[in-house]
Amino acid sequence: MDQKSHLPFSIFFMLAWRNLWRHKRRTIITLSSIAIGFGLTVFSIGMQDSGHNNMVDNAINMGDGHITIQHHEYLNSPANHRFIPNGKTLLNNLQHEKIAAQIVPRISLQALASTAHNAVGAAIQGITYDTDPLRDLLEKKLIDGNWLSPEKTNGIIIGEGMARKLKAKIGSKIVTVTGKKGGDSESHLARVQGIYKSGIDELDKYLIISTLDYATQYLVAEGGDAQQQPLTRIAIFLDDDKTMKKWKTILEGKYISPEITVLDWEEMLPQLIQYIVIDDLGAYIMQFIILLVIVFGIINTVLMGVLERTREFGLLRALGMSKRYLVTMVLLETLLLSCMAVIIGWLAGGSIHLYVATYGIDFSAMIPEGTTFAGTFMDPIVYSELSMERVFQLTIIVFTATLASGIYPAIKASRIPPIEALRT
Amino acid sequence: MTNMSNLLALKDIEKYYKQGEIQVHALRDVNLTLAEGEFAALVGPSGSGKTTLLNIIGGLDIASSGTISVNGTDLSSIPEQKLSQFRLFQIGFIFQAYNLVPVLSALENVELVMVLQGRSKKEREERAKHYLDIVGLADMMDRRPSALSGGQQQRVAVARALAAGPRIVLADEPTANLDSENATALLDIMFKLAKEEQTTFLFSTHDPRVMDVAHRIITLSDGMIKSDELHFQNK
Repeated sequence: MDQKSHLPFSIFFMLAWRNLWRHKRRTIITLSSIAIGFGLTVFSIGMQDSGHNNMVDNAINMGDGHITIQHHEYLNSPANHRFIPNGKTLLNNLQHEKIAAQIVPRISLQALASTAHNAVGAAIQGITYDTDPLRDLLEKKLIDGNWLSPEKTNGIIIGEGMARKLKAKIGSKIVTVTGKKGGDSESHLARVQGIYKSGIDELDKYLIISTLDYATQYLVAEGGDAQQQPLTRIAIFLDDDKTMKKWKTILEGKYISPEITVLDWEEMLPQLIQYIVIDDLGAYIMQFIILLVIVFGIINTVLMGVLERTREFGLLRALGMSKRYLVTMVLLETLLLSCMAVIIGWLAGGSIHLYVATYGIDFSAMIPEGTTFAGTFMDPIVYSELSMERVFQLTIIVFTATLASGIYPAIKASRIPPIEALRT
Repeated sequence: MTNMSNLLALKDIEKYYKQGEIQVHALRDVNLTLAEGEFAALVGPSGSGKTTLLNIIGGLDIASSGTISVNGTDLSSIPEQKLSQFRLFQIGFIFQAYNLVPVLSALENVELVMVLQGRSKKEREERAKHYLDIVGLADMMDRRPSALSGGQQQRVAVARALAAGPRIVLADEPTANLDSENATALLDIMFKLAKEEQTTFLFSTHDPRVMDVAHRIITLSDGMIKSDELHFQNK
């Protein structure tokens, strides 16, 4: 036997475990408060992440994909004459890049739409009628007519709000006029082929979907060569959004020129990023407060346990237990408490999360139809989402915070002089 | 004083401490030796310095001046960390208030010091059971302190102190909280063990029954040793 003190982990564990249960009621109350706090945090983060992901997905799908290739001045100053002149070549090259994605050409135009009754400002989105993701989103929202078809190149789809304003029906003629660089205008006649109701006012009153051929006429009028397929942009919808940064870097390396730039959705939608950052900040403050409550709950329980056992700590020190062991023992009590709390918290928060991830919560009563946030919208039914990253992040934060909260009581316990402790 | 070899040697021990604004001179020029296997009682009125002296010998307190040697270790020059180890391997404590760990059973309480010493599970279990058997608690090993009487708790404390194999057992008023029957039984056990295992016992006490069985009675008054007498009893 060497002349050093030993304490096997099993004994440490046994002592810490039994000490925790000396005051069952107190431990259960502390455990419950930590678990409820943690469970609530898990649930709220799941809901918030889901809301954000939903808004981002909608923004990407309704917008211009994860990555957009367009004229380098278009973002700051969108004008019809800022287009990619040789869209055909660029599209061909991109299709050879082996990107797991949908790569779609688009023409965006600022226009005036008019009928005999009225005129409204509009945005024309010229798309390939069959492969563009906009079809997946809007075809199911059609309340009248049909989706675009190759036979009717001047066919357009308009929103219910615009149809009402222009008093347009299926088959109605609408003249779309765009201002050209230099002051002239370009107009073409379209026919309403379908009317959609997305529930988003901004879209329903403003967005016209046309075939690519119809929109190309306007770019040709701006000097584009129809043979070269002029485009406002090429939108890339990645299968895996985690590959966005990688592909952006690759495409930047290959395709950036004095005319063309490569942007990701974060650059395209800075207001959405700002909204998420501010929303996250609010949530972090709430979570910090919850965490603070958890930490003080643990400090209170462990510190009370330490102060009550001053005499016992004195005894253990008198019998030869080192300060290091005493600190470890108190920290282990904290660790056990936080382990149990995190497990119970995960069970509670995780169960709610699983339920909400499966069945969702309907917020339609709180979020009126057509409400937009930072240029996008959130589906009224929110399904909780928690990534493994979040699971680890949360667990590590709570563990670190709870362990840290045990440090003060542990040090206090180790500093009690045995002789004074035994007098108490 | 004794023809046995010295296990403990105190030389010119002085102890001062502050009580509020007042400086208390708790021990004055204490010189004392204790041989292996001695069963000695430290007596004197309250405040005479008995507990202070026991604490200094046990490495729980530090003398203001003087030297103290226990089993060849000079306590005045060893750091705090080593003092813990010294207490662990050299000293057995028996306190007036029993001081058992409430969350451990009698057996686990006795094993605790041996766990810290790093003894194997088998060895510490054997020794703990052996000593609990000697103190008459073989059938109460699994009980926690709250399920034991005061006398039984103090027996567990005795078993704990001895099972760890210390060179000196320091007992601070061990019978003060016990009734006459329990006190006598406990003293008999300690006396028997001291004799059998050649363990040195130093008691601080007011209890005449302890004085009856002690080999040697050291009387303290105002922090000074007033008398140090050998005492032969009939046991």
